[in-house]
Amino acid sequence: MKKFQNGRFLLFSVLLLFGFFCFTMASVESSWAQAQKKPAEAKPKPKPPAVPQKLIIAQGTDALTMDAHHVIDSPTASIMEHMVEPLLELTPQGEIVPKLAEKWEVSADATEFTIKIKKGIKFHDGEPLNAEAVKVNFDRRLDPKAATKFGFLVAQVASVAVVDEYTVKFKTKAPFAPMVSNLTHSTNGIQSPAALKKSWEKPVPQPVGTGPFIFKEWVPGNKLVMVRNDAYWGKKPTLTELTFRVIPDDASRVVALETGEVHAAVRIPPFDIPRLKANRKLTVVETPSVRTIYMGFNVLKEPFTDKRVRQALNYAVNKTAIVKHILGGVGRVSDAPISPGVFGYSPTMSYEYNVEKAKALLAEAGFPKGFETTLHPAVGRYYMDASVATAVAADLLKVGIKAEIKMMDWATYLPFILRDKEAVEHKLYVLGWGTVTGDADYGLFSLFHSGEWPKKGMAASFYKNEKADQLLEGGRKTANPEQRKKLYKEAMEIIMDDAPWLFLHSEVQITGVNAKVKGLVVHPTERIISKGASIE
Amino acid sequence: MEEIFDKAEKPKWSQSREVLHRLSKRITAMIGLVIVLIFLISAIFAPFLALHDPLEHSLGHMLAKPSWDYPLGRDELGRCILSRVIYGARISLLIGTMVISIGVLLGAPLGIISAYYGGKVDFIIQRFVDTMLAFPGILLALTLIAMLGVGLANVMIAVGISTIPIYARLARSSVLAIKSRQFVEASRSIGASNFKIILRHLLPNSLSPIIVQSTLHMATAILWAAGLGFLGLGINPPTPEWGAMLNGGRLYIRVAYHVATFPGLMIFITVLGFNLLGDGLRDALDPRLKT
Repeated sequence: MKKFQNGRFLLFSVLLLFGFFCFTMASVESSWAQAQKKPAEAKPKPKPPAVPQKLIIAQGTDALTMDAHHVIDSPTASIMEHMVEPLLELTPQGEIVPKLAEKWEVSADATEFTIKIKKGIKFHDGEPLNAEAVKVNFDRRLDPKAATKFGFLVAQVASVAVVDEYTVKFKTKAPFAPMVSNLTHSTNGIQSPAALKKSWEKPVPQPVGTGPFIFKEWVPGNKLVMVRNDAYWGKKPTLTELTFRVIPDDASRVVALETGEVHAAVRIPPFDIPRLKANRKLTVVETPSVRTIYMGFNVLKEPFTDKRVRQALNYAVNKTAIVKHILGGVGRVSDAPISPGVFGYSPTMSYEYNVEKAKALLAEAGFPKGFETTLHPAVGRYYMDASVATAVAADLLKVGIKAEIKMMDWATYLPFILRDKEAVEHKLYVLGWGTVTGDADYGLFSLFHSGEWPKKGMAASFYKNEKADQLLEGGRKTANPEQRKKLYKEAMEIIMDDAPWLFLHSEVQITGVNAKVKGLVVHPTERIISKGASIE
Repeated sequence: MEEIFDKAEKPKWSQSREVLHRLSKRITAMIGLVIVLIFLISAIFAPFLALHDPLEHSLGHMLAKPSWDYPLGRDELGRCILSRVIYGARISLLIGTMVISIGVLLGAPLGIISAYYGGKVDFIIQRFVDTMLAFPGILLALTLIAMLGVGLANVMIAVGISTIPIYARLARSSVLAIKSRQFVEASRSIGASNFKIILRHLLPNSLSPIIVQSTLHMATAILWAAGLGFLGLGINPPTPEWGAMLNGGRLYIRVAYHVATFPGLMIFITVLGFNLLGDGLRDALDPRLKT
């Protein structure tokens, strides 16, 4: 405890402290203002020695796994695809192009998929990439004992056959239209068969793929370091080292970017965008995203078993205001469960902000005065996620629904949400879903088909509608794109009306990049691709 | 024998009046008292003092600068900061009181029993207290939060439990000093039970250091609760709580200083107030400084 001998001294020291505080604030402000005014200096410099090509990217969350077949989130995929590559690639423009594959053929009825693999590619451990290696990968993906994630991507595959050394043939049980898009997915990345055989039923401890970077070190919760793969089959990267740092706090991530501690930072908060844009040392990259943010209802738990309650909540939240003010206009109010730019998307409907209608529906459902519930939002994962959750809860309060917000970090959050229906505790949860294969099947089947309930799948709202199930299955089995679009449109109409979600918005990615860094690509699937990047 | 006569001569109120008199001579203590009184009044009369509903938001007015209607401006969801700060005082007062209650009600009896019985009882209790003291308080609180989960009750329990050893030690040392005094001996010799001796003699006479400590602790408890709130381990939103408000405004500090500044100032001033009052009380209650 403080042992001040007399009061005057204490009073004096408090005043002094306060004065000092004011002085510091004033000087910080003025120096900051000066820094703003000062134009970037263009001093002629002697030719500097070669710049170390070590790139550091700051993400908000850490990798959840080191096994490509266990990847379930974009930040992990972003890291993983530098080391483990899939057979095909989805370009930022939405085109599917070969990656490890040379070319592919699809039979007319969409049941046979023949893939020719590029020759002479080696895994990081020296194993050759051939048809046999690809077969081992998909055998593991299909083996229930291996319990790899996102099984719905390959569940329709009946057999994987080696035709010759560099050709594999996938046969599906029924026509499976999304197969080609699914082969672009990070979770279908091709890993070294030797590494997989050692760790078949458990996630591999470190990734061994064919990618431009080789795994070096992972300090969980802090950083993941990779070094250049000098034997890379494609164009060799300029970077010698690539690090993904974890900085969950938005403000700290921005500061790290401004001080040059990191070269790129994801999810720049809207209020920092003007300042960063004015900073000539930085560039702000805006990339559309295929991610839709939603608040899911656990439809197995009261009172969300009642469709009227779910619709009422949809009416009660002012989504336009959230996008306009909290996201600073960087986003788009959802009018379908998937976002534009995805095959199968069509504007379906959106619930307008209507408090009266919400109250009426609640009263009709037997809750004229609202009710109390809990909301578990993801925090540090999506754009302004904590603020969005607080705003949603504040809107719900206006119709009498008191939702206590319980926040968790990302690594604890996903396992908490993705439990069996008996064990699961959440009632309201906020998640985002990026349709990263660019096909509606990925965005709809995985989240609304009743066969995809956790723990197996990601459909944590535990929604079941037989008609919707049939339509979604139909979308998979139909080869004709126009017919598929029709099926998805019909399915989305049912889903929007049943409202297993509170449909919020789709995101835009705001990435801050140091101006010295060239060639960094931010993909609409929320991956940062640095294989072509360099530091000047 | 002096003590007995002292007590017999003076009625109780005059003792407290003397303390108050001594307190009033110290200007810093009076400043502390005024701050604490303002804090208590705003906490108790929050619904009458707040200009707006602390939970009523308006995204269109987010981060609005201080104005006539919203004297401290609006926060990141367009809520009235002044109203939230006033309601926040309520939460801080509640946490402070409950923390002190847990600490005193569990800690002081432990200390008194420990000192009064001595021997094995003392040994066991004191080793338990040592173990708890070995943990830094905030770390103990964090561990408990991790076990119990976040929430108002858990914050109070966590911070409260981490203050138990301090009160146990304090009560023990006071009781050790008075338990062999004559009035206790006298009471025992006329056949008073242990329980009665503890209740009638030891407890009242060991109270003044506890009162001082709890006033100072009020400041610590408020600070810790705000700290936990700032880390997102305190009370769940949307309850207005100073630490959480500070954290909410931190993101916008460069564009809207007021969102984080005012809750921060409130924490600063309140903690200062309790510390000044506590220091003053200590001096006022210290018999050596009696002149």
